[in-house]
Amino acid sequence: MTWRSPLALMRDALRGQRAREKDLRNLVSNLPYEGLEKAKQPNRHFPSNAIKTTKYTLLLFIPMNLFEQFHRLANIYFVGLAILNFIPVVNAFQPEVALIPICVILSLTALKDAWEDFRRYQSDRKLNNTPCLIYSKEKQFMERRWKDVRVGDFVKVVCNEIVPADLLLLHTSDPNSVCHIETANLDGETNLKQRTVVSGLLFEPESFSGIVVCEKPNNNLNHFKCYEKPDKERAGAGIESLLLRGCTVRNTDHAVGFVVYAHETKSMLNNNGPRYKRSKLERKLNIDVIFCVILLFTMCLVGALPPYLVPDSSGHLDSPSLSGFYMFFTLIILLQILIPISLYVSIELVKIGQIFFVTNDTDLFDEETDSRIQCKALNITEDLGQIEYVFSDKTGTLTENKMVFRRCSIMGTEYPHKENIRLAVLGEPESEEEVIFDQRPQSLQTGWSLDAEDTNPRDTTQRRGSRHRSKVTGIAQSDVAFSSPLETEVIPDKKLLQQISRAESSSGSRKTDPYLDFFLALAICNTVVVSMATAQRRRSDNLRYEAESPDEAALVYAAKAYGFILLARTPDSVTVRLPSGEDLVFKVLDTLTFDSNRKRMSVLVQHPITKEYVLYTKGADYAIMELLGTPYAQHHLDCYAKEGLRTLCVTKKVVSAKVYESWSVDRQRALAAIDNKEELIMDTAVQLETNLSLLATGIEDRLQENVPDTIMALREAGIQVWVLTGDKPETAVNIGYACRLLEEEDLIALVIDGRTLTMALSPDLQERFVDLAKRCRSVLCCRVTPLQKSRVVKVIREKLKVMTLAVDGANDVNMIQAADIGIGISGQEGMQAVMASDFAISRFRHLKKLLLVHGHWCYTRLANMIIYFFYKNVQAYVNLLFWYQFFCGFSGTAMIDYWLMIFFNLFFTSAPPIMFGIMDKDVSAEVLLGVPELYRIGQGAGEYKFSTFWVSILDAFYQSLVCFFIPYLAYQDSDIDIFTFGTPLNTISLFTILLHLSIEIKAWTVVHWVIMLGSVALYFVVTLAYSAICVTCNPPSNPYWILQSQMADPMFYLICLISTVVALLPYTFHVMRNSITPSPIVQARHLDRLDHSEREQWIKEWRSF
Amino acid sequence: MMASSYNAKEEDGHPSGASGHGGPGVVKSKKPDNTAFKQQRLPAWQPILTAGTVLPAFFVIGLIFIPIGIGLFVTSNNIKEFEIDYTGVDMDSPCYTCAKNSSWNNTTPCTCSVDFTLEQPFESNVFMYYGLSNFYQNHRRYVKSRDDSQLNGGRSALMEPSKECEPYRKTDGVPIAPCGAIANSLFNDTLELFHIDSNGSRNAIPLVKKGIAWWTDKHVKFRNPGGNNNLTLAFQGTAKPVNWRKPVYELDPSDPENNGFINEDFIVWMRTAALPTFRKLYRIIQKKSSTTPTLPSGKYTLDITYNYPVLSFDGRKRMILSTISWMGGKNPFLGIAYITVGSICFFLGVVLLIIHYKYDTRNNSADIPN
Repeated sequence: MTWRSPLALMRDALRGQRAREKDLRNLVSNLPYEGLEKAKQPNRHFPSNAIKTTKYTLLLFIPMNLFEQFHRLANIYFVGLAILNFIPVVNAFQPEVALIPICVILSLTALKDAWEDFRRYQSDRKLNNTPCLIYSKEKQFMERRWKDVRVGDFVKVVCNEIVPADLLLLHTSDPNSVCHIETANLDGETNLKQRTVVSGLLFEPESFSGIVVCEKPNNNLNHFKCYEKPDKERAGAGIESLLLRGCTVRNTDHAVGFVVYAHETKSMLNNNGPRYKRSKLERKLNIDVIFCVILLFTMCLVGALPPYLVPDSSGHLDSPSLSGFYMFFTLIILLQILIPISLYVSIELVKIGQIFFVTNDTDLFDEETDSRIQCKALNITEDLGQIEYVFSDKTGTLTENKMVFRRCSIMGTEYPHKENIRLAVLGEPESEEEVIFDQRPQSLQTGWSLDAEDTNPRDTTQRRGSRHRSKVTGIAQSDVAFSSPLETEVIPDKKLLQQISRAESSSGSRKTDPYLDFFLALAICNTVVVSMATAQRRRSDNLRYEAESPDEAALVYAAKAYGFILLARTPDSVTVRLPSGEDLVFKVLDTLTFDSNRKRMSVLVQHPITKEYVLYTKGADYAIMELLGTPYAQHHLDCYAKEGLRTLCVTKKVVSAKVYESWSVDRQRALAAIDNKEELIMDTAVQLETNLSLLATGIEDRLQENVPDTIMALREAGIQVWVLTGDKPETAVNIGYACRLLEEEDLIALVIDGRTLTMALSPDLQERFVDLAKRCRSVLCCRVTPLQKSRVVKVIREKLKVMTLAVDGANDVNMIQAADIGIGISGQEGMQAVMASDFAISRFRHLKKLLLVHGHWCYTRLANMIIYFFYKNVQAYVNLLFWYQFFCGFSGTAMIDYWLMIFFNLFFTSAPPIMFGIMDKDVSAEVLLGVPELYRIGQGAGEYKFSTFWVSILDAFYQSLVCFFIPYLAYQDSDIDIFTFGTPLNTISLFTILLHLSIEIKAWTVVHWVIMLGSVALYFVVTLAYSAICVTCNPPSNPYWILQSQMADPMFYLICLISTVVALLPYTFHVMRNSITPSPIVQARHLDRLDHSEREQWIKEWRSF
Repeated sequence: MMASSYNAKEEDGHPSGASGHGGPGVVKSKKPDNTAFKQQRLPAWQPILTAGTVLPAFFVIGLIFIPIGIGLFVTSNNIKEFEIDYTGVDMDSPCYTCAKNSSWNNTTPCTCSVDFTLEQPFESNVFMYYGLSNFYQNHRRYVKSRDDSQLNGGRSALMEPSKECEPYRKTDGVPIAPCGAIANSLFNDTLELFHIDSNGSRNAIPLVKKGIAWWTDKHVKFRNPGGNNNLTLAFQGTAKPVNWRKPVYELDPSDPENNGFINEDFIVWMRTAALPTFRKLYRIIQKKSSTTPTLPSGKYTLDITYNYPVLSFDGRKRMILSTISWMGGKNPFLGIAYITVGSICFFLGVVLLIIHYKYDTRNNSADIPN
């Protein structure tokens, strides 16, 4: 260690800060500096790869955790009260005892936090110690740990290993210089993605002397810019050369990369902690807590205002105003339980319990993807029961997002592919195998002999076999990306087959026929990765297509069905086998990837025979149509759209060598640019994509199962369902009919397209649009952009003040985040929606049970629990203590031992409401699903109304009056002492509280009985034990032998009995209402008692109204 | 949180040793267990509170409560109770002068006599109480002004009483035994009861002063320091409470089992009353024979050694004679309450019965919601 001046250290730190903050970073290889001390390392300013997700450290846990916990206002309030208790003039309890409840609450929370943090620590340690290979001075890769990886290192990753840091790919074992990665850990997408080696770089760690200039770390997973400066020329690289931390290397033996970001990796920057949403119920709850505070202050003022003078034999008397002032604080301390200290903790526990039950529901489990429902937001379960508007995307949400090639139009001729319709219709998941099985001989019968390899049938059998196996073993890992049998099985249209064979024979090897071109385009114009049978996949298929989007897969399989088999794809070439058996290797000059602005993608290839430069473009019909000279086959497209097909257009353009040359120069410049690289690249893409000639196609996106049923049920539940889609109006309307969003009946439906919507959402029209939409039975927005979707949601949510829920199966993060609840469907396309969602389900139909059953349950349970909690805290003690103040000169005396008082809230009466909040079941799931109208109970104000709160507070006041004054009158003018008087009060209070809950509990299971009886038993056991043991243990309060002597007195039982009965007598009104005007819930509960078949019949009968 | 879920994924995806990415079947399905508990299908009793289901309960309550109420009412009525206020507020009351002059510092006892007549004889054991009104023995600062360890015979607490006793903890540096405001304000009137014969002679009625405190208090909670022998020695180095006339070891010099901290009058006083108007057991008049009543009807005189000042806080003092039953002293309230509640329940039962026949049958048929 050489000594360095503090100034130098500071200067270095500042320099480091500047280096980190700069927009561009200059990175060099660590290799020449290896072994040098830290201060000489050029990349020392950048953080190392060790991750630390823990919040606390061992030493600072207590202060840090307390600091964290005191962010909650309630905790500060209680600590403040406890401190107030240390001031002798105002204290109500012994100061030490008063600290107990808050300490228990704080330490329980701290324990929970500590445990969570320890789990994080363990997983961090495991991750940090994962081995990896780093190139060292010894000229070979040495095994190190993940945490040793530094910016500027060369890291080697072998097949199936996880990438330890963000690597700039420099070398792979693949002869084509590509590396396949699976990003499932990052975004859940299971298809393989290709990454290519940075062009123009020779891989030699020792001689790597250049400087890598890259941008500041950001969290965009799909974007990266950097260039390498070997002094002169600039070689640009983008996201296609970046291996992201957390990805898995597949299909490539090994890859070597240069670490650009360690720790600040894109995946880490994407982990931005849990979302904290506050549920509607909790917002209301907080208002009621404020009311409780007001109530508390009023009660304390009542106690403190009268200038009373009590000769307390203690000598001096304070002036009335001063003693009133002291008394105010004493009473606040005494009556503090009015603000329920344990309410927040209980709510958290209840929510954990509710989430446990939601995630364990087998009905919300998807066998196919082996996924349960994921609850990402832990604190808004009850909002699920209050939804009034559902906004849904179409693709991947209502539909499977599994595409079937259905129709195509070539040269103005329509080829309907009738057999495929049957396949699509019959393609129920259960019958899948059978259909495929049937299909095999059929496809042979049709004289399908063009496929010389005869790969199809074999493929089918194997797939069938593997599927079968997967079902038996229960594994359904989604390693099959977009290659369900539906997509792979395309039955060629006979007419079209004839056309092809005619073209084949006539034009020979000069492939200029539009039919051949069409299929070539289908096979070439995509980014589908062909993976061979690889060890880790355990599949013996010869070919497997892994596509980024399901329509690509569908098209490639369609081409394959016609004999145009995509055999291999490298960044530089595409190999296609023609029906004749001939293999053509196209040189890929460039790929203009898909983006949502252009809505199309293109591939520029060089034809191996004609040497022509051909640009194949594929995209959404409207994105292509505007690039065409003349409208063409428009009627076919319209007709497809009406059938609800997704339409895609495929085009071809021959580019002259000269044009290509000049264009490629522009392109190269754009790629190397760091500033507005995107725009430049897009501009170049647009430059080329002009004057195309059209070939068209239509593919079907099948509806998910039970979508119409689910939408019907949601509707009956009083939920407005809106569909927001990017599709054409015709397609959208058709889907609307298919999923019964629109119906033939004369009900008003609003179909609005994106452009109109922009106007409708303008500030001056907003009100009227919302007003109109409110009156419509269903609303369908088509051609809307993601941004518009989120605006629609926001407008409705703010203008109508309703609870909204957004469902999306792909990438509409905006919409999901704009709604009160965002639900992601872990479907086929991107997983971004799932990542951003509060709940992630795997099928749209799960929404029905999630909302109608779990939403209803969670909401009613929690609402009832909270109301009960307020009631309990007001009734127990607070009011009893308050009434007692009238008889003890408002001096703040408690008639119950402090410890028993604390136990009462902490142990005797805490478990039942939590159990009530987790487990109560007012109506069974079957009835809730059968009668969706029951969902309406939770909508709007719901069960937890302002009035409900006050009714329960009034009830608590009444009960406390009964619980206090019946014993008071019975013991009036007797020789009763304080605690002997308090004991029956305490006992009555316990029984009233528990019986009140018993009446509220709708379904008594074993757990209920155990907890309720256990609470009573615990009360007596603990109190008896305590009063038997404690002779002088808790001075000056002395409960010795009090309960024992009371329990030997028959009066005790008589008083308890009558007080409890009188306290609960108002429930008679409740009973009468249940009989005279039963609420829907009561009616549903009657229904629940019928036996199964009777109930079914009843629901059916009632449905037919 | 998010980080942990990310890590969880890492764990899932990471090849852990050789077994990573093994064949299918290795990975366990995530399917939730299909158990009644997890699927929330535990067998449950689902009572619905309707008129029909609860009306039996109302009749049962009515039928049980009314007899209990009658029993309680009769029992309470059979209890004989006599009460006399001897505070001496009025000019014509015998204790007027004593009341006016009484204060804690008086050293000369003031006596007065109150005559009264019992209209009915008291048959069984008679309990003699003194009653105080408007005396807040339950005031917080009063209630806590005691030291239970001291009273339990703790030697250290005897010499160093708890802080709670302030300002009656020490006097001139000497610890007070028993310390605190409660002990300091011990009721110190002496009451004597005489029966006036038909011939006018006064017969003292024997008053038993033992057995008036709780057994547990007398034997467990309250103990003299160093046993009951030689209390003078045991209490050496302590001072008597400020308002007391004599030290604690002279409360009942005649009976060592009733002296010092275990003096029953003292123990009774230390059990602080719950309400500002209270009574405390003073003496017991034992029934002598089965033939003669304990207190025959006739004239009596109550001799009072008037020490305890109550007028300063507008208090009242009473002497109460009462027989007791299993339900304690006379209190008609509970009996009336039981009868009333029983009747209300019965009435409600009838109302519910009507409701049940009018509505419930309709509800149970198939036209529930409309």
